[in-house]
Amino acid sequence: MAKERILKGIAVSKGISQGTVFVYETKEIKVVQTPVPSMYLKGEIERFLDALEKTKQELTNIKERINKEIGADFAQFLDAQILMLRDREIIETVKKRIKSEEMNAEYVYHRVLDEYARKLGASKDQYLRERVADIWDVGTRVLRNLLDMTHASVIDVPKGSVLVAHDISPSVAALINPDNVLGIAIEVGGRTSHTAITARALEIPAVVGVEGLLARIENGERVILDGNRGILIKNPTPGRNQFYKGEIRKEVEYQKMLSPFCELPAKTRDGRQLDISANIEFFVEYTHAKKYGAMGIGLFRTEFLYLTRRGNPSEEEQFRVYNELAKKMEPDPVIIRTYDLGGDKIFSDYHEANPFLGWRAMRVSLDDLDFFKIQLRAILRASVNRNIRIMYPMISTFEEIKKAKIIFNEVKKELKKEKVDFDDHIQVGIMVETPSAALMSSHFAAHVDFFSIGSNDLTQYVLAVDRGNERVSHLFDHFHPAVLRLIKQVIDAGHKAHIWVGLCGELAADPLAIPLLIGFGIDELSMSPVAIPKAKMVLRALTVQECEEIAAKALKFRGAVEVKKFLRRAIRKKFPGIEGIK
Amino acid sequence: MIREKITILNENGLHALPASRFVRLAEKFKSDVTIAKDDVEVSGKSIMGILTLACEKGSKVVLTTSGDDEEKAMNALRKILEGQD
Repeated sequence: MAKERILKGIAVSKGISQGTVFVYETKEIKVVQTPVPSMYLKGEIERFLDALEKTKQELTNIKERINKEIGADFAQFLDAQILMLRDREIIETVKKRIKSEEMNAEYVYHRVLDEYARKLGASKDQYLRERVADIWDVGTRVLRNLLDMTHASVIDVPKGSVLVAHDISPSVAALINPDNVLGIAIEVGGRTSHTAITARALEIPAVVGVEGLLARIENGERVILDGNRGILIKNPTPGRNQFYKGEIRKEVEYQKMLSPFCELPAKTRDGRQLDISANIEFFVEYTHAKKYGAMGIGLFRTEFLYLTRRGNPSEEEQFRVYNELAKKMEPDPVIIRTYDLGGDKIFSDYHEANPFLGWRAMRVSLDDLDFFKIQLRAILRASVNRNIRIMYPMISTFEEIKKAKIIFNEVKKELKKEKVDFDDHIQVGIMVETPSAALMSSHFAAHVDFFSIGSNDLTQYVLAVDRGNERVSHLFDHFHPAVLRLIKQVIDAGHKAHIWVGLCGELAADPLAIPLLIGFGIDELSMSPVAIPKAKMVLRALTVQECEEIAAKALKFRGAVEVKKFLRRAIRKKFPGIEGIK
Repeated sequence: MIREKITILNENGLHALPASRFVRLAEKFKSDVTIAKDDVEVSGKSIMGILTLACEKGSKVVLTTSGDDEEKAMNALRKILEGQD
């Protein structure tokens, strides 16, 4: 039997699939040079124009499909492609040359495109060089239509396939049928590539950046694709197959058990209503938030806006995304977190030795006020929908809150002067994720509308542990009593000042932590959409009183191990065998 | 005919999105629109032409509009190049 091989890549979309490899290859198009007698030249030009028209129809259909299923923001690349398609300069050049050279349309069109592609390809600018792919994405469509070739369409991928390709162009990725495609593996790309975004939107497990993929995988092979670990397994051993069969079965049963909870209200057994919201990264994920029963977006990370394009997004681009998200979620609230990346992401020549303690998030925004104001303007303009809230990340001093408020009021004033409508009562809150903000929360509470505890960063800063460092990551533990005490302190401080307090880290979705957080009095829990049904299941089985008892006891322990041992025992009584409780 | 020297102030240069917007706006005017950079002149209604100019932020171009609505066209298109649209 052939030896098992494990191909490693980057995990970009979760889930496991077992399927048959379908290698998606864009067949090389052979363009031949054929002289055309002068009496047929007019017909040749018409044939060219017909092919353009047909291609335009195809692109328009794809665009509509993306608009409908993924969101207008992701269809923008198609606008550029449609403009390339009907570019007058190209059309006129091709027409002229067909006539003067008396050659066939394919040949002339291919050569004209090639000239442009070469010019762009030789550019010093990486962004322009990447546009060559767009030119050929469009050009190939036109040539296929001219040659009456059928498109190697991903729509035709048979049921039960794992789609394997070197790369999938955006216009092709948009046509992937999630009923037939069980998994996607491609040779190139990263977390923010179009394929990755599409796969997550369609909830298809995917691995990208698998080096040497096509050389090692053949059409028709049975493979296992593990989108959680980022691997593709060829010739799996019987043991491996057994293991993954079990994993898939568990996953299916587990989803089946949880699915009724999507629809049920997030209420404890004795009737305390909690706000369960979704953390999302991409616009399209609002569909998951709704599907899994979120009561709003508790954290909209705006980072992708800065990472998926070159340079910073304009006010207009940001506004479109925020506005559309607000409309889709209406009347449920959408909390938009302002820029939360390191300074290196926007200033390419900037580097620092200790980025987690460095120039990042709010510190960047408050140092580059033009940059900050653009984002505030975009958010405020989108607040006409009356369901948007703003959240500032990584606040560590009172002065930051004060300065942000001054800028915020300036922006409001500008908008009023411009007679732009916005929500004057928009809630403005801060993330509590630094030890200083947690310790000073009783003072900060008077100046903001809400707190959202960022438990991941808070834990890392309180315990002085970089969880990415293998040698110390075992010291990272949300259940460290120091972390829990701070969380309790922040919730109490918020309530004393009559503001609501939420939590948006991994802790929010941890069944062990839920009784604890309810016992502390948390108002909102925000988590990845798929975790919501389980959280609801857990909290619906609890009463506030028992949570308070659990919380009071949990705070008395000396270390995380003791806390977790106690919580595990408490919750196992309620849910014997619940997944995720180890 | 109006001819103006303009420095590209758009944060991202004249790349795909601003270039698309420029072309779509240029198409709305009857006037001929051209952009020239370093002695290369392209139609302002051609996205391929504009992209091959490779206009970074800070590069200097000459924008020409000529026709019935040349003034309107100049005013509107200049804003995109200067990143104020």
